[in-house]
Amino acid sequence: MKINIMDYSLTKTDLEKEKQKGVLSTAWRRLVPLMAEEKRSVIISITAILVSSAVSLIVPIVIAHIVDKYITSKNFQGVLSFSGILAVIFVVGLVSNYLQIVTMGGVGRRLLFNLRNKIFGKLQELPVAFFNQNKTGDIISRINNDTDKLNQFFSQALMQFLSNIILIVGTGIFIVFLNFKLGLVALLPAGIALFLTKLLNPWVKRVSLRSLRTLGSMSGEIQESINNFKVIVAFNRLDYFRNKFREANELNYRASVSSGIASNIFNPIYVLSSSLAQLAVLAYGIHLIDQNQFTVGLLIGFLLYVNNFYSPLRQLASVWPSLQLALAGLDRISEVLTLESNIKTRFKKTKKTFSSSKAVIQFKDVSFTYEGGKDALKNVSFSLEEGKTYALVGPTGGGKTTTASLMARLYDPSHGTVYLEGKDIRFYEPSERVKKIGFILQDPFLFNGTVRENILYGNEAFKEYKKGKLTQMLEEAHLTKLLSRFPQGLDTQIVSSGDSISLGQKQLIAFIRAVLRNPDILILDEATANIDTVTEQLLEEIINKLPKKTTKVIIAHRLNTIENADDIFFINGGEVVHAGSMKNAMDMLLQGERKS
Amino acid sequence: MSKTKVIQDNNKKGVLPTPSLFGLLGKYKSIIALLVVLTVVANELSISVPKIISRAIDTYTSGNFSITTLVIEFSVIAFFIFVFTYLQNIVQVYASEKVARDVRNEIATKISVQPYSYIEKVTPAKLLTNLTSDVDAIKVFVSMAVSSVISSVFLIVGVSVLLLITDWKLALIVLSITPFIGVVFFFVFRKVRKLFKRAQEAIDWLNKVIGESILGSALIRLLNSESYESKKFLEANTEAKTISFEILRLFSSLIPVINFFTNLATLAIVLLGGHYVITGAMSLGNFTAFNSYLAILIFPILILGFISNLIAQAQASYERILQILNAPMEKKDGGIKKVLQGDIEVKNIMLNFGEKSALRGISFSVKAGSKTAIIGPTAAGKTQLLYLLTGLLEPTSGKIFFDGRNINEYSKESLHSQVGFVFQDSVMFNLSLRENIAFSNTVKDEYIEKAIKTAELEDYINTLPNKLDTVVSERGTSLSGGQKQRIMLARALALNPKILLLDDFTARVDANTERKILNNIAKNYPQLTLVSVTQKISSIESYGQIILLMEGELLAKGKHEELLNSSPEYVQIFQSQRSTNQYELKDEN
Repeated sequence: MKINIMDYSLTKTDLEKEKQKGVLSTAWRRLVPLMAEEKRSVIISITAILVSSAVSLIVPIVIAHIVDKYITSKNFQGVLSFSGILAVIFVVGLVSNYLQIVTMGGVGRRLLFNLRNKIFGKLQELPVAFFNQNKTGDIISRINNDTDKLNQFFSQALMQFLSNIILIVGTGIFIVFLNFKLGLVALLPAGIALFLTKLLNPWVKRVSLRSLRTLGSMSGEIQESINNFKVIVAFNRLDYFRNKFREANELNYRASVSSGIASNIFNPIYVLSSSLAQLAVLAYGIHLIDQNQFTVGLLIGFLLYVNNFYSPLRQLASVWPSLQLALAGLDRISEVLTLESNIKTRFKKTKKTFSSSKAVIQFKDVSFTYEGGKDALKNVSFSLEEGKTYALVGPTGGGKTTTASLMARLYDPSHGTVYLEGKDIRFYEPSERVKKIGFILQDPFLFNGTVRENILYGNEAFKEYKKGKLTQMLEEAHLTKLLSRFPQGLDTQIVSSGDSISLGQKQLIAFIRAVLRNPDILILDEATANIDTVTEQLLEEIINKLPKKTTKVIIAHRLNTIENADDIFFINGGEVVHAGSMKNAMDMLLQGERKS
Repeated sequence: MSKTKVIQDNNKKGVLPTPSLFGLLGKYKSIIALLVVLTVVANELSISVPKIISRAIDTYTSGNFSITTLVIEFSVIAFFIFVFTYLQNIVQVYASEKVARDVRNEIATKISVQPYSYIEKVTPAKLLTNLTSDVDAIKVFVSMAVSSVISSVFLIVGVSVLLLITDWKLALIVLSITPFIGVVFFFVFRKVRKLFKRAQEAIDWLNKVIGESILGSALIRLLNSESYESKKFLEANTEAKTISFEILRLFSSLIPVINFFTNLATLAIVLLGGHYVITGAMSLGNFTAFNSYLAILIFPILILGFISNLIAQAQASYERILQILNAPMEKKDGGIKKVLQGDIEVKNIMLNFGEKSALRGISFSVKAGSKTAIIGPTAAGKTQLLYLLTGLLEPTSGKIFFDGRNINEYSKESLHSQVGFVFQDSVMFNLSLRENIAFSNTVKDEYIEKAIKTAELEDYINTLPNKLDTVVSERGTSLSGGQKQRIMLARALALNPKILLLDDFTARVDANTERKILNNIAKNYPQLTLVSVTQKISSIESYGQIILLMEGELLAKGKHEELLNSSPEYVQIFQSQRSTNQYELKDEN
C-alpha cells in the first residue's frame, strides 16, 4: 500500500497565492460562509444601520422644512412642535445606533472566537510531520499575528465596512432616482476610483504580503537569538546576531514602508474622486439649470447628497488596509485550515488489517521516507513479543528514533504495515492506541505549571485524584523516590523555557509521566541520557517492577541500559538487524561505523 | 545596600518621571515638522472646497459665472489635495516605520550588551513582546496620533472661533456639549483601559497555549491529548471573547451617546437659533452656518478621544521599552586580553537563585593542560558550575581565577574566544552548518576543518548534498540528537580553545563514537585544559581530577583510585556503572 507523503511546508504555497481575485469578491467568498450562523444578528444590525442611515438622511430635510415653513414665517409654535418630532427622531437614532454597534460588534467577536477555535482545532489535528516541516516561530507568528489582524478587523473595521457599504448603496440609488443624468455624472468618478482600486489591488496585496512575511522572519530572528542567548554570549556572537537582526529589521522596515505607501494610495484616490464628483455635479448641474431642467435649491441638496455618498466611500478606503491585512491573514490561516492530516484512523478493514502473528508489535516490509526524499527505513520486518525488553542500538542518525516513532504512529510508513497486537496500527482509535503505548521522547517537553500538572498531563484516569490518593499511586509505582529530587515535590513550579530546571530533571518528569500511565508498551528514546547513573539504576528498578506483560523498547547509548535486554536490534542505514547477543551488537556497532 | 535602595526608589512611580512619548519624536524633528506642514496644508485645502462651491453658486445666481474659472480653480485644488494627502500619508508611514525600526535597533543593541542572567530574569517572552507589540504601539502613535491631533486641534479651535464670532450666546450653548462629551469619554476610557489590559492578558494566555501546543506537538499526539489542549484553548478563547464583549458594551453606548449629545446641540440650534431668527437677533445665513459648523466640530472631538486612547497605550508601551533601555549596565569589561595558559582556580563559590541555593562553598583548582571531570546526580549544580566558569553567571560570593587573575579582569571577548563550551541542550540556528560551527568571527578555515574531523562529523557532512552549506532547520529537527551534540562540539572546538568545557557531552553519542572523539581531542588539541561534566566513570578514570558534586556541595575531589578509597558516594556511582565497565573493557580487547 503506497501512501502519499504529505507536504506540510507552508512558506512555499505563500508565493503562489499572490495572484488573487478582487478584494471584494475574496471578502465576499471568505466572509459570507463564516456569517451563515449569524443570519439573525446580521439582519438586525442591517435593519439598525438602515434606520440610522435614514435618520441621518431625514434630519436635514426636517431642518430645511422648519426653516422654510416656520422660521421664515416667524411661527415659533411650529418650530416647537417640529423640534419635538426632531427629538423623537434623535431618540430613534440613538436606539438604532446602539443596536447597530452591539449586534454587528457581537457578530465580529463571535466570528473571531469560532475562527480561532477552528484554527486551533486544525493545529491539533495535524500530525507531527507538520511541526517538523515548518519553523516553530513561523507557525506561532502565523497563528498569533494573523488572528490578531483578524481580531482588529472583526472587532473594529467590519462594522464600519458594512454600514458604509449600506450608506453608499442607499445614497447611490437615492441620487440616481433624484436625477438620473446628474446621478450618473456624480457616480462616474467613483466608478473610476473603483477601477483604479481593482487595478492597484494586486500590487498592494503583494507588498502587504511581503511585509507580513518580513515581519514573520524578523520575529523568528528575534526568537531564535533571544532563546539561545547563552550560546550567543558564550561564543562572542553578539555582534553577528545584532547585525542579523539589523538586517531583518531593515528588510522589514523597507517592506513595511512600501506596503504603507501602497495601501495608502486608496485614500487620496477617493478624496480626488469625491472632489471630481462635486466639480462634475456643479458644472453639469449649472448646465441643466441653464436649460431649465434643474433648480439652484435642488443643486445645493444634490451636492450634500454627493458628500453623503463619497464620505463613506472615503471611510471605506481608510478601512481598506485593515481589510487587506485581514484577508491576507485569512489567506495564510486558510492555508493551514486546508491541510489534511495523513494520520487518520482507518475503518475499512481488509484481510491485510490483521496479522496472524501474536507479536505485540510487528513491522512487515516497512519502509519510511521523509519529506524531501531521505530514506530512513528500507523494507524492514521484525516483531516484538509481550513482556520482553528490547534494545535498539546503532550509530546516531541510523534510524532508531524513526523506528520507535513508527511504533507509536507519529508517522505512517511509506510502504508496509505496522501491527499493534495483531491489528494494523492505523485501525486503532487514537485513544485506544495511546493507552497501550508509553513513549518517552528524546527531548522532553514540559508545560508551564507544577510538577503535578506535568506528570498528570494527558492522564484522564488520575486527573481527579486528590493529593493523598495520587501519592499512594506514585508509591505503588515506586516513583516516590524520584519526586524527592524536586524541592517542593509535586508542587514544584516549572517554567518550561529557560534554565530553571535541568535536562535531567525534565527527563525524570517525562519518565514519571509515562510510567504512571502504566502502558503495555514502554518506549524510551534516549530518555535517560542526562540522568546520572545512580538515579538511572533507580529507574531501571522501577522498570523492572512494571507488570510482567509490559513490553519495553529502549534506545540508549549506555551499555548498562542495554545489557539487560532480552533481545537487541541493530539499526543502521535504514536496516534493522537482529543482533542477538550484546557482544554481537558491539561488533556490529564497530563495523557499522566503518561501513558508513 | 544603598544600591538596591536606589533601584527600588527608581521603581516607585513618580520618583523618576518617565519621558513622554512626544520626547521620543525630538530626534525626528525635521520629518515631524514636514508631517505637520503637510497635514495643515492638506486640511486647509480640503476646507477650501465648500468655499469654492458656495462662491460658484453665488456668482451663478448673481450672473457673472464663468465655467472655465470654476473648472480650472477646482481642478487645481483637487489635484493639490490629492498630492498633499498622499504626501502626508507617505511621510506618516515613513516616519512611523523609521521610528519603529530605530527603537527596535536600540532595544536589540541594549539587549546584546546585557549579561545572560539579565535575559533570563526579564524572560525571552517579555523581550519578544517589547520588540514586537510594544514597538507596534509606538508605530501606531507616530503614524496616527501626530497628524490626527494636529488636524483635530486645528479644526476645533478654528470652528470654535468661527462660532463665537457669529453668535457668542448660541456658540456657548453649542460648545457646552463638549465638556459632556469629554466626561463621557473620560469615564468610558478609564474603564476601557483596564479592559484592554485584561484583553492583552487573555491574548498572552491564548498565545501561551498555542505556543505550548506547537512546541509539545509530539507529546500531545503521543498522549492523544489534542482534545484536552483544545479545551484549554477554548477556556482562554472564551475569556478573550468575554472581555471583548465587555469592551463592546462600553463602546456601543459611547458612540450613540455622543451622537445623541450632538443631536441635542442641533436641537438647541433649531429651537434657540430659530427663536433668535424669528425675533430678528440672528440672520438665516448664520443659522444655516451654525448647523454645518456643528457637523465639522464633532468629528475632531471624536478623533481626539480615540487618539487619546492610542496615546495612552503607546505611552504604556514606551514605558516598558524604557525599562529595558534604562536598565543598569553590566559591570565594566575587565579589558585584559591575553593568551590563556589554562590554570583555573575556584575559591569558595556560592551561588543563589533567590532563596534557593544552587552551589555552596565550592573550591578547587585545575592545572593547565589537565583533565578534570565533574560528576554527580541530577540537580547537583554541575551545569551552573560550568556557567560560572564561562562567565554566563556570576557567583553570589567567591572568586574565580584564570591564570591567577580574577575572571572579571579579563575582556569578555578574549575570554569567550579561548573558553569553548559544549552545552548540554543542543542549540541549532537556522543557518548553514558552516555558520553553525564557525560561530565566532575569529575562526579560521583550518580550525573548522580540524574541529569537524575531531567531532567525527566528516563522514556525515560528506553525505549531505550541499556539504557544509546545508541549512540546519530551526530546532535542528532534521538532525539526530547525536549529530546535534557533535555539531555543538565542533562549534566549541572551532574556536581552537585553550579551555574546553563539556556539559554531559557523551549523553547522546554512542560509546564507540565517544571514545573516538575523546581520542581525537587528545591528539589534535594536546594543550587543551578539559573540564567535563559527565555521568560515565569509565571514560574519566584516567583524568587528573574528579570532582563529586551533590546538592550544591563538593563532596569529594581527587583521582579515580583515591575517590574509590575515600568517598562512599563515589563508590556507589561506580558500582552502578560497573557492568558497563566490563563490557567496555571486553570491547577494547
